[in-house]
Amino acid sequence: MALPLPPGLTPPEIAFICEMELVTIIPRQRLEGLELLGGPLKPLNPPQRASIPLWLALLLKRQRRANIVPPPWLSPDSLSAILKYETEIDAFSPPPRLPPLPSGTSLVFSPPFLPGSTADATADALPYHWLELGSMLLEAAPEDFDDANEVRKLLRGLREARMAKLRQGVEVLDAGGGVKMNGVGGMEVGEARTFITGVVDGLRKIGKSREEARKERDRENGYSPSQDFDDDEMDMR
Amino acid sequence: MDIDDLLAEVSVDSISQETRDLQELTRSWVAERVAPEILPWPSDLMERVLDRIRRQIELVEDQTGNMDPKTNFKLIVIQTELERFKFLVRSFLRARLKKIDAHPLHILARHAASATDLLPLLSPAEHQYLTSHQALLTSHYASSFLSQFPASLQRMDDTTGGISMVDKPDEDAAVFVRVLRDVGEVAVEGTDKRLEMKRGDVWVVRWSTMRGWVASGDLELI
Repeated sequence: MALPLPPGLTPPEIAFICEMELVTIIPRQRLEGLELLGGPLKPLNPPQRASIPLWLALLLKRQRRANIVPPPWLSPDSLSAILKYETEIDAFSPPPRLPPLPSGTSLVFSPPFLPGSTADATADALPYHWLELGSMLLEAAPEDFDDANEVRKLLRGLREARMAKLRQGVEVLDAGGGVKMNGVGGMEVGEARTFITGVVDGLRKIGKSREEARKERDRENGYSPSQDFDDDEMDMR
Repeated sequence: MDIDDLLAEVSVDSISQETRDLQELTRSWVAERVAPEILPWPSDLMERVLDRIRRQIELVEDQTGNMDPKTNFKLIVIQTELERFKFLVRSFLRARLKKIDAHPLHILARHAASATDLLPLLSPAEHQYLTSHQALLTSHYASSFLSQFPASLQRMDDTTGGISMVDKPDEDAAVFVRVLRDVGEVAVEGTDKRLEMKRGDVWVVRWSTMRGWVASGDLELI
């Protein structure tokens, strides 16, 4: 009954999340609108383009009912530009720009529910699920790419360049955590999670007594983190 | 539906409630899979989702047997999606059950403390499971060996010597978070770390420092 898996997401689970990303398709058959659990699906009228979740796009593709339009960043030109950035600069390439923040306290959307992989996504940035989405599209719909082999090669190059950075980044880990990893991808988090959290947690346990002493000193000096949080809460309102 | 829901719907009217619920459910599932401790039960969300799943299953049952190829394909799509939702809900519940099994007494105490909150820690079904499972275990321990011990050693939640017998999860464990709304400067207690957390950032930080903002929806676990 209870889940036997350790904390963190497994690669199939990350792929499952990625399958909720919206992609653009060109339907080859008519499909009436459907009331799905994840929101209404608009009717598909060939040859009008439509944006649908990846799992449905893969299903339609497998049955030859649609072609998939790869997102602009998944093209040889964009990928080589990003790869150049990744090899020259020490940080991950910046993630796509975020849509404006909804007002008030309403729900903020995040990947896979941001349109990062539709035909009108930005061409110069890798979205959160870049690796998973790229490999799934290359596997299911290689003939929908202009040059699938080149894309495949560049994706592999990107993956290697970024993994090397991830490994190098281990040097900055310490007991307090607080490592910024902007631009990291979903599968990369999944791969690095056990190692990174293991190192941070291990270092924290080693330095525990020193930290306890410091906490006590801070409290004597009238500093309390719970108060700190309350203050922030007040500011936000 | 209260006024907040209505207002929220006006501001993002282009996105349906179903899609918003899917975003929330996915977020809760990931959070539950990643966080070291159990999170409050999202009762309204689960009620809506489970109700929709129930209706969708009825629809599938009504329409199977219809041999028209067009309806047939629509059913395939609906069923594929239904299975995906069922997986999400199941994996979410199982991740919670795992935590309940691992730290029953700790969670029971926290649930009791949260009973008057807006969001209690456990759902009624989870609470029932936890209490009856604990009752069975306690009576089993008592009949098989605890009753042979001196009365002072029979307790399962002893705290003498400053050490509590009740096991609890490592609340300082490191987690990956994504910042959804600007949080500002965050101090990690016991260290010199001051983090400037801006929208869109991804950080590796201690869960204990972050949980307030995860609860308020300013951060999400990834």
